[in-house]
Amino acid sequence: MGSSSQALQQLEAARHVALGDGNHYPQILPAVVPIIGASANASLEVQRWGADFLAETFASPTWAPEQKMQQSLKVLSTLKDYIESQDVGIIKSAIQASACIYPLVYRHIISDPNDKQSWQLMTAIKSNILRRMDAALPGVRICCVKFVQQVVLVQTPAASADPRRQDPNDVSLTHVTRDHPLMPYINLEAESSGLLDRLLGMLHSDNSDALLLTATLNALGLLIQRRPAIANKILSSVLSFNPVKSASPPMTAKNKVLLRSLERTTRVLLINVLKRNPEHPLSGRIQQYLERMHRMRLEAFDDSSRKRPAPVEPTDGLDAAKRQRLGATVPNIAPAPPSNTVAVPAPAEAPIPPLPPGPVSFRELYTLNPDASTANFDVQIFQDPNQLIRILIPVLASVDERKLTTATNAVRARFETVRQRAAQAAAQAAIAPAPLAVDDDDEYEPDFEPENAEQVANRIDSAPPDNLPEQPAPSGPIAPYKLPEAPPLTEQEVQKYGDDTIRRAFGMLSSLDETASKTKVQKGGFNRYAASSFDRESWVTIISRLATRTTCGLDDPDEGVKSEYGRMTKKGSFALSDRIRDGLYNYIMYDWKRRLDLAINWLNEEWYNDRLQSSSEVSSLPNGSNSSTSNSGTKGNYHRCCLRLLDGIITYIEGTDKVLIRFMSEIPEIDMEIMRRMKKMAEDPERIDLACMVLQYLCMFRPPVRGICVDVLEEMWRTNDRAKPSARKFLAIWRPQILESEAENKVKEETMNGNGNMEVRPVA
Amino acid sequence: MSLDPRLQAAPQPPPPPPPPVEPQPAADGVPPAAQPKQDVVPDDVFKLKFCTVCASNQNRSMEAHLQLAAANLPTISFGTGSLVRLPGPTIDRPNVYHFNSTTYRAIHAELAQQNTRLYTANGLLNMLGRNLSIKSYPERFQDWVPGKPRLDHAEDQGAQGTEAGVVDIIVTCEERCFDALLDDLHNKGGKLNRPVHVINVDIKDNHEEALVGGRAIRDLALSLNKAAAEERELHGASGWDKGGGAARAGFDERVPDILAAWQERWPHLPALWSLAWL
Repeated sequence: MGSSSQALQQLEAARHVALGDGNHYPQILPAVVPIIGASANASLEVQRWGADFLAETFASPTWAPEQKMQQSLKVLSTLKDYIESQDVGIIKSAIQASACIYPLVYRHIISDPNDKQSWQLMTAIKSNILRRMDAALPGVRICCVKFVQQVVLVQTPAASADPRRQDPNDVSLTHVTRDHPLMPYINLEAESSGLLDRLLGMLHSDNSDALLLTATLNALGLLIQRRPAIANKILSSVLSFNPVKSASPPMTAKNKVLLRSLERTTRVLLINVLKRNPEHPLSGRIQQYLERMHRMRLEAFDDSSRKRPAPVEPTDGLDAAKRQRLGATVPNIAPAPPSNTVAVPAPAEAPIPPLPPGPVSFRELYTLNPDASTANFDVQIFQDPNQLIRILIPVLASVDERKLTTATNAVRARFETVRQRAAQAAAQAAIAPAPLAVDDDDEYEPDFEPENAEQVANRIDSAPPDNLPEQPAPSGPIAPYKLPEAPPLTEQEVQKYGDDTIRRAFGMLSSLDETASKTKVQKGGFNRYAASSFDRESWVTIISRLATRTTCGLDDPDEGVKSEYGRMTKKGSFALSDRIRDGLYNYIMYDWKRRLDLAINWLNEEWYNDRLQSSSEVSSLPNGSNSSTSNSGTKGNYHRCCLRLLDGIITYIEGTDKVLIRFMSEIPEIDMEIMRRMKKMAEDPERIDLACMVLQYLCMFRPPVRGICVDVLEEMWRTNDRAKPSARKFLAIWRPQILESEAENKVKEETMNGNGNMEVRPVA
Repeated sequence: MSLDPRLQAAPQPPPPPPPPVEPQPAADGVPPAAQPKQDVVPDDVFKLKFCTVCASNQNRSMEAHLQLAAANLPTISFGTGSLVRLPGPTIDRPNVYHFNSTTYRAIHAELAQQNTRLYTANGLLNMLGRNLSIKSYPERFQDWVPGKPRLDHAEDQGAQGTEAGVVDIIVTCEERCFDALLDDLHNKGGKLNRPVHVINVDIKDNHEEALVGGRAIRDLALSLNKAAAEERELHGASGWDKGGGAARAGFDERVPDILAAWQERWPHLPALWSLAWL
């Protein structure tokens, strides 16, 4: 260890010479390499130093690239040994050095196509680094990312094809001749494109953490800048990168910091691109992306106040020290005894400020030094009188007599002013009580200023007129007042007001549509309370429940068997729910494509209520009543509403409106009558496919109604010639026997005709 | 503005209780003197190289520079503004100086001559006096050439270890500086191929906050340096098998964890971080 520390000292001395003047590197490097090389059996410390030194040397801006290029060839084998080392520190530094050296060797090989050995060494180093890129420690992987950036940089064509216009130090694919024996142009190009993909893949891989992501983002800036050929590819990849995605759900402190950091890093990169080229073809997309990210971050954090909160400070005025620093006067501070102010007289050179206008307290009268620290000094902090005396006596003894005289005169002058003011005020307005300037009350009296005649007149004007006849005071206890009862509403009025209410509810619903649909949707899951969030869905739930449940069961169960007359009278009061239903229907039809989800909610409510009704009717049937009348007489509201809605929609539906599939699959109950609407719809040739799709979907994912569906399919197949081919396709899956029997019939027909070829096939 | 309207309404608050009697003059001097030994990095331990950055390289970055240098860590410091801006006699008449050429001493002399009382009262002269004991002039980050040896800065505090002109950690004191710095690193192009952790610690630009922020940055730097030194030791000759868990992970991937832990200790200084290239 002794020898290695000695060696380190010598090496460090050599390094300092090189740091002093970069031109010494070409002499120092050949001397250092044998000592630090792995072949020299150097200790770990020396090897680490060597790897750091190589990285530093080839990164140094103090010596010329041409000289670096010459020297780089001599360290390749050392670097290769380092790369294969076990120590992470050595590997990291070696990769950094390789990233610096790769462009140099590359440039050398361009000019010297016969140096096969150097290129082989470099290739070996490169493949070793690329192997590490996916599996090594993150600290090593980021160095690999930078190395790959350098490879992509030199193996991609530069901005300008004209070599004379290029920066001579910017080596690129443009410098490589097409027929280079060691580095075939095509291979280089393909390799760099593959590596770029790997680099960009980092952004979208699940395997990347914030370290790699920011390292990659910060490495991409240079490529966008210098290689326009690939800039757009990189930018689109960055624009599809979502920093928020990488945040795992628990918002720990770490995740928050990382999320904000990723967002910031991406933003800086994109803004850098915009700054360099404001007319960038992708600038519109970049702007959009930046805005979207900004919003996303706000949503992810939901803290509009990222600034630090105001420090907690007492607001009760107790913290006098704090107030002094803020420059505010502490109100209601106990008046200091005069000895206090005498003890701290104003400096003679400081002018004594005049008294403020208005009433003056003793404290103000004696305060000659406006400086807040002395003015607000509270003698009461000395609880022990002895302590006070100990301080006070020496202070009094040391008071400068001249100053004391000045101060006393100043106070005397002030006293005079105050007295004069008081006299003036008394003379001006005899009505106002003379202000007591020497009053020991420091509350501010805003009413002190004497009123002039105009103000008095104004006040008299605004006083209540006193010529009103006086109300006789009621004698005896007052009976509680009752509003007269309103006359009972007529049925028409009830209906009218009910309608108004409904209309208003729907009006609110449509205004919610525009504003609330964009706000954040919180998914409550099964545990939420329905209609608790005051958005569109909640209101629809409320309205549909109003329609289905409120008046439900209030109808006379024997309604069906009563006379026509009886029915007529009742109709008015319970028609309210039907009016709500009408409202719902109209609301949905107004924009049915977007409001179909509400329709499904509504129908579910209807269906649920129907079920409740039927079950309660079964359980609470009055003895002896005829159950068949109530059950079979009304089929419930669901069926009716569903058919009505379906008929309404089908009028407008087009062949491309897949939303119908959702509707049909989510409504709670389907029967033959509903299903037949599909058949009806299929009579329009443009909507055959849609109908078949609906039927197929239901067959596949709603097994209970499969029978009905296939029945309808079969009907379609039999009666609708145009729908036959589509229907046949599905029937072949769900009910092949029909097709078989058909085929048999056909065979029979053919044999009867005796001429199969002339037969007009049913399929057009 | 600073008068609470609720207080005006209150009729007669109880007389203020006397503040706790404490030895006032000694209070400021005691803590730094009492705890210096444990947060100084000894010479024989591996050290990261730090760089502190604020807008004018006067207040926040210099306070942090001082703290880190006091912890015996290699430190350099910069400003990202276009000019050095200091408060002037009024808010619309700041004192403006050029980076890299105006020394702290010259600024101090000029301000002292301009209005000693004002600049003593607002703490500027005090700050400049501190600064000129740290290094000679404010430096601009954008003019810095990474990798250029800094042998001419050997007199600066914390210069030892920064001779090669590279750093491992950059701490900025404001988000604006963080952005400007990352942007400038894009422009510099990462010619050294050397990874650098850029960390932002949001500090308000006044003397008190700079003091607090400087302590926080020192705390962060010591935690980071400890982790980096652990990496060096663990991966030594046969060290790989000794460590386990977090200690086995490399330094770079531990930075976010260290920063998160630090953020919990200093929740009022919001942090940002990015791995960039010198």
